[in-house]
Amino acid sequence: MEFRVPAIWRDPGAPADSFYEVRPECTDVPKTRFRIKAGKTLSARKWHAAFSPEGHLDIGKTLSRIQHGGIHPSIRGEVWEFLLGCYDPKSTFDEREQIRQCRRVQYARWKEECHQMFPLIGSGRFITAPIITEDGKAIQDPIVLLQTNPHGAVLTPQNTSQAATGLARNDTASTTMEPEFSFVEVQPSSHVILDKKEIQWKLTLHQIGLDVVRTDRPLVFYEKQENLSKLWDILAVYAWIDKDVGYCQGMSDLCSPMIMLLDDEADAFWCFERLMRRLRGNFRCTESSVGVEAQLSNLAAITQVLDPKLHQHIETLGGGDYLFAFRMIMVLFRREFSFGDSLYLWESPI
Amino acid sequence: MSQRKKVLLKVIILGDSGVGKTSLMNQYVNKKFSTSYKATIGADFLTKELLIDDRTVTLQLWDTAGQERFQSLGVAFYRGADCCVLVYDVTTPKSFDTLDSWRDEFLIQASPRDPESFPFVVLGNKTDVGEERRAVSAKKAGQWCQSNGKQMPYFETSAKDNLNVEQAFEVIARQALAQEESEDFGDGGFGGDVLDVNGMMERENSSCAC
Repeated sequence: MEFRVPAIWRDPGAPADSFYEVRPECTDVPKTRFRIKAGKTLSARKWHAAFSPEGHLDIGKTLSRIQHGGIHPSIRGEVWEFLLGCYDPKSTFDEREQIRQCRRVQYARWKEECHQMFPLIGSGRFITAPIITEDGKAIQDPIVLLQTNPHGAVLTPQNTSQAATGLARNDTASTTMEPEFSFVEVQPSSHVILDKKEIQWKLTLHQIGLDVVRTDRPLVFYEKQENLSKLWDILAVYAWIDKDVGYCQGMSDLCSPMIMLLDDEADAFWCFERLMRRLRGNFRCTESSVGVEAQLSNLAAITQVLDPKLHQHIETLGGGDYLFAFRMIMVLFRREFSFGDSLYLWESPI
Repeated sequence: MSQRKKVLLKVIILGDSGVGKTSLMNQYVNKKFSTSYKATIGADFLTKELLIDDRTVTLQLWDTAGQERFQSLGVAFYRGADCCVLVYDVTTPKSFDTLDSWRDEFLIQASPRDPESFPFVVLGNKTDVGEERRAVSAKKAGQWCQSNGKQMPYFETSAKDNLNVEQAFEVIARQALAQEESEDFGDGGFGGDVLDVNGMMERENSSCAC
């Protein structure tokens, strides 16, 4: 039972975005509307109290609190692991620890496989220009040359943050790791790859890079090159293990929060993988359609029943295909709301 | 005086991911360049009113996602286009090589009545990087623009430094207007796009969810 406090003494709450710092020069990002409130938001104390001594989680009570006030950012990552279904609330601390270790090993194995095919995976650097042609021949793109061989050029922090032409490199890695990948070692120009799956995967790597340098860049978190390359690595590994989907624009918007919420890269990967189990259908494309269009027809059908006048209006304007909602559904409102607010939206099932 | 309808010109901007389609559009419409752009998902549009030989026209600029797999959306987005802008990045040869397929794909999906005469404008963006990083020469690009039957206007631009952007879009608008007028004479063409601009566009006020 909760003690009711008169409205004027109630905690006005901290803005949800104070935990996800935005670079001061970025003034055109959406402002937060959600506030973290003591007594409403799921706090660390309440969260830890929801576990039995062995580690069983009282999920019912936890969910209703999340629904009312969201999750405090300090515990968001560990709570999301349950919300996304990485762990069974009925499992024990020990069981979960075991599963976690197994998954970390599995991720490391896949990442190593990718590293074997393209040594830049896991190196702290990444590429933003194509490295291969459709028929498997290496492309000697000057941008790739710079990105794979940092000693060939002087890179300053300013131009590493430049979108699209960004020369991506992990500054810390380059000092600690010696340049074991010269361009030639990364991809010998004479070598032609014959494996279709490998070609397909390599064709997506620069697209991932192009999107990584354009994902949540106003956040201070992504000023660190290390975090950018984490995002690149996870998306590249995912593209390798889910070959039907591979990489599709929009996925970086969905993956980015996981990297911010979970410190361990493998843990972040598995949260993303869980999220994609629910959403991968949206990203599956054929010659004639994008997966999300099925959702758009559902949205049209629902609107037609719930608000026929609105539906009629949309049709009159020529928007009957509901393509205006394409991005909203594709990246789950990440572009419509501030970073913190969209996470609150994701975690609060209506 | 002729009672002229307010004209809506629809322009589609195509090209590989990361060549600067959104930046160009934003520089032209909002006079801004940002280093923290986001990848376009699906498509977005901005509108701008301008005067062409004392005719007020509304330019509706459609910015599209560059990843190839979104191409199936083209049928919906390209319908009723009056001009198509092909953008490549002067530092990325592949983005230049794919112009052929962007043009062909556009013609297939938009299926204009007369593909031969449909106006395209080509932009080589990111000229601010300097000569040493340029990978596609102006000459090569110029040749491509000429080799496609009729001459396509070609501009080298920098959305970052606002070089040639205004000039390029002025030509784009003129090409679109000429196309629109030729469609008008020629019995409608594909989908009459002289819409009820008064009702819809004025509320839009040059903005969209970007």
